[in-house]
Parts: sequence; structure tokens; C-alpha cells
Amino acid sequence: MRRQLSLSNLTYALVLACLPPASAVAAAGKIDYLESPAATNSSLSRVTRDENGRVYLSWVEQLDAGASRLLYAELIDGAWSGGEEISRGDDWFINWADFPMLSVIRGNKAAHWLRRSAEGTYDYDIEATFFAEQRWSEPRIIHSDGISAEHGFVSMLPMPGAGTLISWLDGRNSKTEDGYGEMTLRAGVFDAGGTTMNEWELDARVCDCCQTSAAMTRNGPIIVYRDRSLDEIRDIYIIRQVNGAWTTPQAIHHDDWQIAGCPVNGPAVSAQGNRVAVGWFAAKDDHPQVKLALSADGGASFDAPVLVAGGHTIGRVGTTLLDSGRIAVSWLDTELEQARIQLTLYSPQGEFISSSEIATTSPSRRSGFPIITAVGETVYVSWTDVVDSRVKTARVGF
Amino acid sequence: MFRFNMRHTAKLFLATLLLAGPLAYGGESDRQRWRLVNYWSEWCAPCRVEIPMFNALQARLIQHDIEIVGVNFDEDPHPTTLRIAAELGIEFPVLEQATVKFLGLRPPDVLPTTYLLSPSGEVAAKLIGMQDEQAIVDALATLGILDQPQLATEPQ
Repeated sequence: MRRQLSLSNLTYALVLACLPPASAVAAAGKIDYLESPAATNSSLSRVTRDENGRVYLSWVEQLDAGASRLLYAELIDGAWSGGEEISRGDDWFINWADFPMLSVIRGNKAAHWLRRSAEGTYDYDIEATFFAEQRWSEPRIIHSDGISAEHGFVSMLPMPGAGTLISWLDGRNSKTEDGYGEMTLRAGVFDAGGTTMNEWELDARVCDCCQTSAAMTRNGPIIVYRDRSLDEIRDIYIIRQVNGAWTTPQAIHHDDWQIAGCPVNGPAVSAQGNRVAVGWFAAKDDHPQVKLALSADGGASFDAPVLVAGGHTIGRVGTTLLDSGRIAVSWLDTELEQARIQLTLYSPQGEFISSSEIATTSPSRRSGFPIITAVGETVYVSWTDVVDSRVKTARVGF
Repeated sequence: MFRFNMRHTAKLFLATLLLAGPLAYGGESDRQRWRLVNYWSEWCAPCRVEIPMFNALQARLIQHDIEIVGVNFDEDPHPTTLRIAAELGIEFPVLEQATVKFLGLRPPDVLPTTYLLSPSGEVAAKLIGMQDEQAIVDALATLGILDQPQLATEPQ
């Protein structure tokens, strides 16, 4: 049954009652837990894939004396390779919601992290390094403003020409007298060596601390993010590059969630041809929900969203498309002091198929954001096990 | 009912013991109050905007037995939290995570969020997003906790 949303407070409870209880649905996929290449005191992981279906894991390890290092591993014959260090630093801005990303295409890699602009400030820059011709380049700040402000919530998207599209939240205009100026969404294209080929301001006023997400459609790259209207509506928006030009940002769905604050819960997008799936969290009227919206035209328009989860969800949503066109959505459900990492499978038309519990974790910030990516009909998941203080991974076959 | 009350009594006793900060409880450490519990983060711009307002308001509210306390949303170790709080200019007490756990508050979905806790530890109001002084005073007055005209005539 497809669940269209027309939720008033009155119908909210009824809709929730119709949702399949996540823990009661039989696991649809076989879950294999993969031996983690990450050491103790690791976190902030992401799984990603290249154009050939090779799967990579990146993560951060805390070292002594406040230093951190970013590593990655490749999945080879079903097992992770040993971790290889990308970079390290003792002045990184380490944050549970805003953390490094690795992007791989045609053997070229790009990775980023956040470095504090100066000691004792909450201002930080985005540094990136690019792996080409068998070596990582000298790290460079990817934004050219030179302003001490917040820069982060990066998305990296491999481009067909082997470059990388990087989008980020840029606080260069936020340093107003009241300390709460506009956060902007910017993006740039970087070649394999890290040279900036193009840079744009895509939206002059967006939500301050939610993740961005990017995907490649047949028409071109798309970026989804949480907007901030003049009257503080924080709905999920999409901006698309079509024929080399960026479209006007448009809402994926009007949740009309009005808050003078930040949910720290950004959207996740995945694309296959011109099919696009966007998952996100909203909590209008203090009712937390995870939603999924589908597009068949590269994100130009979306069907009415499907309600993925309600009740006790805390969001932290992931979305990925399988080769069959089915859609997997990951999200966190909570019960008392535990959180469950859920993976819910939908048909290409957005009909609920099944839900699996990947692992239990903590709802605290230390558990971070589970990340998913699909190769064929297999979904790879990474997350932080708070008890072991270590990155864990699994694959789920459908 | 008896079990419920005992649980809350124990919870509040422990919470009182664990509260820490420049407005330590001292001789009134066993006294229960209405509390505004403000969730903040160093990287949350609207949180930072609220801080001077809460700093200014706390001296006035404490006269009415209402206390403002803060919670670091990021759950950093307490020494780190205290360092960040100092950098942000926070002048009200900041709770340790153990205290937050005893209070039984669900971490908010939005930053900033401010809970109004009754002396018995119940959430009387949840103020989502950035607040100004008037919004706080209105919430307290609506619940009958504060005589709004009285506060308005007090020196700031």
C-alpha cells in the first residue's frame, strides 16, 4: 500500500498505526557483517562506490593528543583491505554530523575534512586532497573567500570527465552583527588534480547545519539540501544542472516545517538514469517523520512522498537505488535508550516491500549517521558502534 | 504511583547533586526549582545568538526560583564542554551528560531547543528554535510560573 501524505494532527496517529512496525517485519535480506578495517576510537564512516561497483569505506580515527586521521579501505573479494591513511591533523574540526567524504572515479579519488580556521573558534574551512597519478595532492582549501566562517556539510560527486563536483554550505555571508546571517549553498567542479574549474553560489539562504547530498542523473548533477525561507520554513529543496546551467531551486515537498533553528538532519539523494529517490527527516508540530519522494524526470518533479517512519524516529536518513530500481532507505528508530538502524526496501513505484534491522546502536550523537550505498542488489552499510567505539560495516543482499 | 514518585525523587536528588557550574547550588542544593534547559552546540548559529539573552535573563529568573541550565548537544566530554561553554560566553551552568540522563530528556530534533522542567522533573513546555526573552517570559507566564508584569518592572 502506498502511503500518501496529507497529515493533520488528527490523522497522524492513524497513519502511524498503519506503518509496519519495523522490528516486527521479517528481515528480507541476508545480512553479512564484514570484519571492520577500522581501529578502536574510529567513527564518522562512509561507504561509497565507483563507476565499476568497487566499494570503499572511509573513516576517522582519533589519535593521542587530540589529533585525528582520515583513512580508507577497498572491499576486495568480500573483505576490506587494510586502511590507508589519506591525511591527519591536530586542528581538525571533528563533528558527528559534518564529517569527511571520499569520492572515487576511474581510479582518481578526492577526499575532504574540516580544519579549524584558528584555535578557539567555531570557524572552519574545507580542505581537500586529490589522488591522481598514484599520489595524494597537497591539501588545499576548496573555497576562495578567505573569510573565517563556517564551511562544511560537503557532498562529493564524481563527474563523467573524471573530475569531482563538490557542494558545501558556506558561511561567508553569515558574519553579520547579530551573528546569524545567511548560510549559502555553493558548489564547484574540480579536475582530477584539484584545480577549480567552476564555482557557483546556488542558494543564498539555506539551513545552517544540515547535510547536503548530490547525485548524477542522465540530465546532469542534482543537489538536495534543507532550505531556509525568509519566514523560517525549512523544507527540502533540489537544484539541478541541466545543459550546463543550474535551475532555480524548488521544493521536493512542502512540509512547511517552520523552525528558527536547525534539525541537523539533512536529506539523502540517489539517482539511476533519470530516476531519483530523496529521503529526508521532518518534525512539523513535533511529529518526527522520515519520508521518501521519487522522481522519474531527473528531479524536475516528484510524486507525493511516502511515509517511511514516524513515531520515535530520529531520522539520519540514507537512500540508495538498486539495479532493479528498488529503493533502500536507512534511518534510525529509537526505543528507550537504544536506537535501531533500519533498512527499508521499496519497489520502484515506492511500495513498501520489507524492513530489516541492521544493528542496534545509541541514539546519541556519538553514533553518528549510518551511510548506505548499493551495488547491484546488495546494500552496503557503515555506522559507528558506540559500545566498541569502532566503525562497523555490513552488506545486505536483496 | 508510589513507585513512580520514588523514581522521580531519586532522579531529581541525583540530578541536583550532579548539577555543576558557576551558579552552584550551595546551601540550597536540595531545593527543587523550575528549570529552563537549553540545548546548544558551538556550531549552531542561532544557539550562539540566544546565549547573551539567557545570560542576562538568568540573574532575573533566579530571583523567582527559576534556573537556566545548558546542555551541550554534541555530548562532548565535560572538560571539553566547559571549555566550549567558556569560549561561547555561556554564564549559566552546563550539565554533565550523566545529569541529562537522569533528567530523562529526549535529545531535541532541532537546535536550539529549550525545555521548561517543573520541580518534579516533568516537561512543562518545549520551545523549539531560537527564542527571545519575550518568548521565554510568555511561556513562563502562560504556565503561571511567573508574574509577567512583576518581571517587567524589575531592573535589568
